[in-house]
Amino acid sequence: MKRLQDFTVGDTFEAFREVDSYRPIYYAAASGDFNPIHIDPQVGRAAGYSGAILQGMCTFSWLSDACVAYLGDPARLRRIRARFTKPVQVGDVIRFQGRCVALDGPRIALELEATNQRGEEVLKGAVAEGHLGEG
Amino acid sequence: MPIDRKHLGRRYGPYRFTVGPEQIRDFASATGGGVPGRVFSVAPERAHPWTWDEAAAAASPHGGLVAPPTFAAAFAIQPFANACADPELGVNVLRLVHAEQSFELEAPVRPGDVLETEGEITRIQDRGSLDFLEVTTETRNQRGERVVRGVWTAIIRN
Repeated sequence: MKRLQDFTVGDTFEAFREVDSYRPIYYAAASGDFNPIHIDPQVGRAAGYSGAILQGMCTFSWLSDACVAYLGDPARLRRIRARFTKPVQVGDVIRFQGRCVALDGPRIALELEATNQRGEEVLKGAVAEGHLGEG
Repeated sequence: MPIDRKHLGRRYGPYRFTVGPEQIRDFASATGGGVPGRVFSVAPERAHPWTWDEAAAAASPHGGLVAPPTFAAAFAIQPFANACADPELGVNVLRLVHAEQSFELEAPVRPGDVLETEGEITRIQDRGSLDFLEVTTETRNQRGERVVRGVWTAIIRN
């Protein structure tokens, strides 16, 4: 596992996730969020979208996963927040980018971005904090 | 119609959730590029191995599986979901979108944990064509340790 001395202000990391056609259903099964807007394209259209939209919390999980991959341990992530600014739909490919902006002892601060294949931000104001303890 | 501000402070829960290893692995699968479940399931190669691979997790400093941090969405969402569906508030869920989310994570979630989540409406705001509804949740485990505090914000288009 990465240790404290392996982290530097200015580090960057990146992750990609594709919304395959069953992803909102898989996420519904695992999270319990079966809101029809996420699994029924007709309901999605009735709500003004072009079809079913991915659960925001799935996108948020991908953001968290990008941080966890960088931090090296799921338990190191201590805070995460973001605003959902654009719906994510089947077929979208989301690019997550992160940067270490501060290190204070074991405390680490990250700034994050998430954009779709058209370069549109699907999350804004995304930030996270970690604690680089062992275990 | 705007949500009546008299509902500020309205509370939901506690809701109990008992964590099983299958739930943790299914969540890791669904969010890590795999397929959850026991039928044609696929391992989540993009998820952190300590969240789904028993052998890797056993050899980790945690000695066993830990949940992905956002597994909180599976249990801590309940007060927020119940507020959004509360007939007293009269929210049209077709006009509702999840607008903002934050988690403060204090203790990792492990298989066997018994979690209790309570929530409270902490903000109701009418901004013309948009209504904001915010629910703050707190989850504790069977030892009374705070596991996660969540702030869940919805926007309802009027």
